[in-house]
Amino acid sequence: MGALGVIGYGLGVIGASIGIGLAAYGATTSMARQPEVQARLFTVFILGSAFVEALALIGFVVALIVK
Amino acid sequence: MNPLDGLNDAVDELIDSFLTHNVIGPAEVTQVSPGLTQYVFWMFVAIVLLLVVVFTFRKKQAASLVPHGFFVNAVESLIEFARDDLCKSILPDTWKKHFPFIFAIFFFILANNIVGIIPGCHPGTGTIGVTAALACYSFVYFIVVGCRSKGVWGYVKSLAPKGVVFPLNVLVWVIEVFSTFLRLITLAVRLFCNMFAGHVVMGTFAILASLFFDPLMQALSNGAALTAGAVGDAGASVLWVLVLIIIYLVEILVAVIQAYVFALLTAVYIQTAESEE
Repeated sequence: MGALGVIGYGLGVIGASIGIGLAAYGATTSMARQPEVQARLFTVFILGSAFVEALALIGFVVALIVK
Repeated sequence: MNPLDGLNDAVDELIDSFLTHNVIGPAEVTQVSPGLTQYVFWMFVAIVLLLVVVFTFRKKQAASLVPHGFFVNAVESLIEFARDDLCKSILPDTWKKHFPFIFAIFFFILANNIVGIIPGCHPGTGTIGVTAALACYSFVYFIVVGCRSKGVWGYVKSLAPKGVVFPLNVLVWVIEVFSTFLRLITLAVRLFCNMFAGHVVMGTFAILASLFFDPLMQALSNGAALTAGAVGDAGASVLWVLVLIIIYLVEILVAVIQAYVFALLTAVYIQTAESEE
């Protein structure tokens, strides 16, 4: 079961990594287009990746709990 | 002998040291035990450090109207950052009312995370108990703010967006209530996991470095001839130390960003609870 949990966590991380990658992509392209809103965009980017990251972290906890 | 053989036992020992143990009081941690765990001990250390910084700042700042010196200016710029980035940019005109709360949460978590970064110390936020308490605090705060600004019934109704036809809006409301309670869990788990997992990773690399250095030390102490394998392992050990330093730098970044994220999310939740639509 332990190994299955690790595999499940890996599968969960795929989604989160795509999500954070998309967020970073959007943030960098919009910063390149409009450098003057950089500070505001950074806040929104951190916020978005925090929401995405929460799902991966829940996966981490579940993988630890389910033995 | 392969240096990786000892890794499993060492990592088990490492994770065991990260679980809560009493430093004062009975050895077993139970739900009613009056002891003090290592995390709570370091939390108190962080609180004392924070208080020392705050009172020194008050004393030095009161000395003259114009801020002088590195310390006063550094703390002032930090406070200004928290005010402008966390409160003013997210909350409407009511930011002054919520500023002390968000500010206290931000600096409490920041102090804990920074103390945890120092080798040999533990972060107070590295246990689910402390982070869950912080999350409860912020959860109750934004619900009370929402109830005060709209009334209890108004706040409960405002969880579902307006303009949805009848049978669907009940479903949307149920989902929104569920996601509101999920905020409590994600706030606590995000901070806890980031601190816990980050420190486990750092510890693992430190263990790898010491395990790979062992063959060289043994060969030297036995007076035996140096084998190519022992020297190669020592070279790998240097590589692990380099990786460890990079992860350490990333962890400093994570410590600041997680404090920022927690305070930022608290501000956003307060803003959504207060906003009219």
